[in-house]
Amino acid sequence: MTAVTSQEFSDPASWVPGAGELPRLLPPAGAGKQAQDLMTHLARYGRLPYRERTGTLINDLEAAGLTGRGGAAFPVHRKLAAVLAAADRRRKIPTVIANGAESEPASDKDATLLWLAPHLVLDGLQLAAEAVGAQTAILYTHADREHDVGKRLQQALRERHAVGADRVPVQLALAPPRFLAGQETALVSHLAGGPAIPTFTPPRITERGLAGAPTLVQNVETLAHLALIARRGPGWFRAVGTRHEPGSMLATVRRADGRPRITEVPLGMPLRDLLGDPQPESAVLIGGYHGTWLPAARAAALTLENRSLEPAGARVGAGIVISLPADRCGLVETANAVRYLALESAGQCGPCLNGLPRMASAFAELAGGRPRPQTRADLERWAGLVTGRGACHHPDGTARFVRSALVTFAAEADRHERGRCSATSARPFLPIPTSSARTAEDWT
Amino acid sequence: MWYASRGTGVVALLLLTAVMLLGLLVTRQGRLPGLPRFAVGGLHRNLSLLAAVFVVIHVLTAVLDGYVNIPITAAVVPLASSYERFWLGLGAVSLDLMLAVIVTSLLRRHLSRRTWRAVHLLAYLSWPVAWFHSVFSSGDLRHGALFILAICCAIAVVGGVLWRLAAAARDVPRAERVGLEMSAVKKQREGTIR
Repeated sequence: MTAVTSQEFSDPASWVPGAGELPRLLPPAGAGKQAQDLMTHLARYGRLPYRERTGTLINDLEAAGLTGRGGAAFPVHRKLAAVLAAADRRRKIPTVIANGAESEPASDKDATLLWLAPHLVLDGLQLAAEAVGAQTAILYTHADREHDVGKRLQQALRERHAVGADRVPVQLALAPPRFLAGQETALVSHLAGGPAIPTFTPPRITERGLAGAPTLVQNVETLAHLALIARRGPGWFRAVGTRHEPGSMLATVRRADGRPRITEVPLGMPLRDLLGDPQPESAVLIGGYHGTWLPAARAAALTLENRSLEPAGARVGAGIVISLPADRCGLVETANAVRYLALESAGQCGPCLNGLPRMASAFAELAGGRPRPQTRADLERWAGLVTGRGACHHPDGTARFVRSALVTFAAEADRHERGRCSATSARPFLPIPTSSARTAEDWT
Repeated sequence: MWYASRGTGVVALLLLTAVMLLGLLVTRQGRLPGLPRFAVGGLHRNLSLLAAVFVVIHVLTAVLDGYVNIPITAAVVPLASSYERFWLGLGAVSLDLMLAVIVTSLLRRHLSRRTWRAVHLLAYLSWPVAWFHSVFSSGDLRHGALFILAICCAIAVVGGVLWRLAAAARDVPRAERVGLEMSAVKKQREGTIR
């Protein structure tokens, strides 16, 4: 990974030597894939810079322009300020939750970050807790990933306890293996002892979250960035990325070999550099299964930032970029993912419960060959009917994914209607979990 | 005025019956022929306010009329009237319950869903009390066409409640709904393709 500095950024006053170097969060290139213990961590980043006051970090975060790295890109300082204000107004002590429940099957960046740099996330959790005056901190992660992240985190917490690094005790909590488990209201519902299903807002959890307290939920990567901004300042953070979307982010990139690569890249990086040289006939999926398919030629002209992607109907999201090999059928791949998304509906909102299975079934017909002529129109209509009508954005994201596939793979769908398919390999490419929820226990 | 009171009382009973049935339909997100789903909720709300107007006229005319002496307090305080003490008392109980339901619904925006619902369930108590008040406080509904009407109202509401309970018993647990829906859609589609 070559370090890329922004052409837009040019403020010499805030220039810090070495600020443009990447990776910032992950261990440097030579360090291998070993997890960083507390000694290595302290040697690289220095001690935890507590502010001894609530709120002061929030100004730095605003100057840095850090946005949530869980996918929504919401300004971090605004969320912290909202929690702090709600805590003052309602005289309640807030709770801080680090969200590592990366449920998107195509993403692996949070698990990788927690595995390789747990102390950076835990530093961020402490500093966020201090900034809003919280006395409870929870780290919420999935259990069943490739590595035993839970064990790694327990070990990290023991190391920190031994030197007294943490002021707020940290509890670890496990997320059920559901797609929606990381949605913040589902997360609060789960931690309160209920099923991990989204609830209706308002009340927002920044006002009334876990046990009625104002609750701050931040993605683990966001907290890692926060821990570095607290140490090195906003100017350092802005030395990479663009003026409007500063900083770096972790991306999960899959090229034609299908293997996930987690890299830390500056926002605004050309997608062409991320993808290598994609075959012009193929397609690129940006943002995962709630994301957008784009023709590879179009994607290659864009950069990894919302200002560039949004006119094309895509968003940076959690940094998932997947290049579909030319020998696979995009409709088949999409059908598999849509079936998974339908099965992961929480089953509580009518449009999602009724609409997603219909869309999955229709998409399976489109992928299976010889679809009826009205199937595409049905999909388009249902996508419109489910959008904006759930407690969470699951139907919206699924509809966006389906619609982008109908546009990007329109020529392939024509072929399917004539009974042909251009794919030469039937091996599934997109990673799809095999298990789905059957009983209420699967949600808790 | 005595006749106005009796007339509005009968109309109020009919309207309250309709409101009950619509409320039962709303809880199951049911539909009426020719109406979109959201309109059922709107109809429930508007009819209930109309019923409240009739109840108010019914009570005021009964109090103001000099034919029997009913003190104004008897409208809300049970057993405060010497005339038909018990049956008018039921009317007062029913009206109090109704007021609680209406006030909490108007303030719903400021209440938690649980509080609102707990109070709203009082409607199931208010209606039968109102029915007994209607049938027993005067002789009008105890014979003839109005008696049949009162019985029909009772049958309709009891039937509605039974339908509501049966529908709840058929409910699929949330976690199993998606799987069921997936297999249902799949079967349906296979049916249409062949």
